[in-house]
Amino acid sequence: MSNALSRAVERYGAFRDQWYALPVLVAASLVVLAAIPFLRRLALFGVAPLGWLSLNMLIVTLIWATTAQAWNIMSGYTGQFSFGHAAFFGLGAYTTIILTGTVGISPWIGMLLGSVLAAIYGLLIGALTFRYDLEGHYFALATLAFAELLRYVFTNVPQLGGASGFFRPLAREYADGPGLAAFQFTGDLPYYYLILGFLTVVTVVSLAINRSQLGYYLFAIREREQAAAAIGVPTYRYKLLAVAVSAFFTAWPGAFWAMYFNTIRPTTVFELLVNVEILLPAIVGGIGTVLGPIVGAFVIIPVGEFVRQSFSVPGLNNAIYGVILIAIVLYSPKGVVSWPSRFVELLRVRTDLLDDDGT
Amino acid sequence: MLSLSLPDACCRDVGIVALPGPPDVPASAAEAFGGLPSLATAVDALGIQAVLGISLPSPTIFAQYFVFAVLLGGIYGLVALGLTMIFGVMDVINFAHGALMVVAMYTVLVFSDATGLSPFFAVPFAVLLLFVLGIIVYRSTIAPIIDAPQENQLIVTFGVLLILVSGIEMIFGSDPQQLGLNLGSLEIAGVFVPQGQLYALGIALVALAGTWLFLQRTMLGRAIRGTADNRDGAQYVGIDVPRIDALTFGIGAALAGLAGAVIPLFQSFTPALGDQYLINAFVVVVLGGLGSFPGAFVGGLIIGFIQVFGSAYLGGSTYQIVIFSAFILVLLVKPEGLLGGSTDE
Repeated sequence: MSNALSRAVERYGAFRDQWYALPVLVAASLVVLAAIPFLRRLALFGVAPLGWLSLNMLIVTLIWATTAQAWNIMSGYTGQFSFGHAAFFGLGAYTTIILTGTVGISPWIGMLLGSVLAAIYGLLIGALTFRYDLEGHYFALATLAFAELLRYVFTNVPQLGGASGFFRPLAREYADGPGLAAFQFTGDLPYYYLILGFLTVVTVVSLAINRSQLGYYLFAIREREQAAAAIGVPTYRYKLLAVAVSAFFTAWPGAFWAMYFNTIRPTTVFELLVNVEILLPAIVGGIGTVLGPIVGAFVIIPVGEFVRQSFSVPGLNNAIYGVILIAIVLYSPKGVVSWPSRFVELLRVRTDLLDDDGT
Repeated sequence: MLSLSLPDACCRDVGIVALPGPPDVPASAAEAFGGLPSLATAVDALGIQAVLGISLPSPTIFAQYFVFAVLLGGIYGLVALGLTMIFGVMDVINFAHGALMVVAMYTVLVFSDATGLSPFFAVPFAVLLLFVLGIIVYRSTIAPIIDAPQENQLIVTFGVLLILVSGIEMIFGSDPQQLGLNLGSLEIAGVFVPQGQLYALGIALVALAGTWLFLQRTMLGRAIRGTADNRDGAQYVGIDVPRIDALTFGIGAALAGLAGAVIPLFQSFTPALGDQYLINAFVVVVLGGLGSFPGAFVGGLIIGFIQVFGSAYLGGSTYQIVIFSAFILVLLVKPEGLLGGSTDE
């Protein structure tokens, strides 16, 4: 092995051990994300390697990165595996569009109220399921049931849009016209930076929790709840807090979804598959890590969206998601973000072996 | 006034097209019971108050709904059977169960198209195919992570769901398919019994009895029950637990195949139909007690009654709200299910 490579690996290994490694990596990824809309135009020798990425794909990717980041706080950090986050996503979307469309209120206030509503619903779910000690399968099924319940409530109550849902109101109906205040824009680029802003906020919150005492409490609950309780962690209260924070921020990308796409229906925001799309990036990237949801989203969503938009083969993108999902869980359950460290370890072991041979 | 309205032609359709209608399609009472125009329109036009005002429906209509509910409940019981078995023995929630059903539905379609034989001959073929598919799925995806956290298994089975359903969608498209089989209905004292569902219910009961006998009366069945009771203990007394797991998953998939194979006898189907059965099957399994066979049928009947009477009197898919509320209530108050207890003991 070349000396330069092994030195670079050593340096990276030393960097990973520093306390500032994670914040630096997070900041670097966010900067790269901010530059991507321009990078994709960049051509090398007349070929743009990122040219196939449309802004729309990038926006969808960031939506699911944000949901996964929020889901991660509850399920990755605290270990309470939610299979029903579509409930919070949908509440964010519906509250925003109903209040904007019927009352003419600003979508930003709608989003805030939607987040609060989602957090309250999360607290309700948490209070019931934690009080009755639902764990494992039962907890996952209960969260799914709460999401499905909302889906049928919205499908069957005409005032809530019924099965056909709502159209996004025109910006001039409730504001001066498109712009930040109206939460609507004429092009895709402002939408991209808005959802990147949401992702940044949720990521910073996640990083802050990760590094705080709160985070250590949550990790303790995940690793062994009874031991955590025994040393004085109020586990019930902290689990509720994790659910509320997670639900609150899952409603944001929901509200964004409502203001970005033309319509919302129970089948687009509450569907069984939405529950999976929300957590998919976190699983692929690395469950319980800060970078995992972002990296995971970029590993799978652009490919899936590209396939969906380019080939007229319905279902192909879902099949690809299925294959990646299985492959990750079987072969690399710590996710894509664990690959650099694994690579470094591998190289270190090989270097050591070579040294022992006296080469 | 309502009892006069059971025209002959109506109930033939009922059985074939609409009864366990996909909950997503906003099937109003009128659509769901397309054949009962006067009742349906009355319910639709006047809403719930009208129903309350009507007091009790005529005995014939009530009996008609009762028959529908029992038939549908039997189907749900059959759908839940394989799910509850895999859960009871392996502690795995199989999200791919509905997808396996869908594979069986399209197997029946292809088989009867290719051979020109009655779809009934396709049923054993589909069951066998699904048994093999189940073992392949188990060996390739579940076996390597059987000791991993429960969430991992849930995610992997969901991955299998995505692959199977997408595969079917790519080959056959997502338009509804139909066998073009009209089995007609029996008429007993003014009550129509759609024959397709009747056969399906019969097959469900035979499957229940067969599986029960296999579990109770054979050594292999005993080994499966032992594994369900105590996996470590089973290992210690020399049971090859991974082999039992493979067999259980294969049988569970075969039962999903059986459920999937009888559904085309009375209903049109799409690749998405599996999801709709799957979610209600979870409810059935939890209501009856995870791992309990009789519980699967009791839970199935409860869901069948809520769905049939709910879609008649509440309209739309409001009955699903009732179903999920009941589900959550049981999960919280009695998570071991109404019949509780461990598998088949």
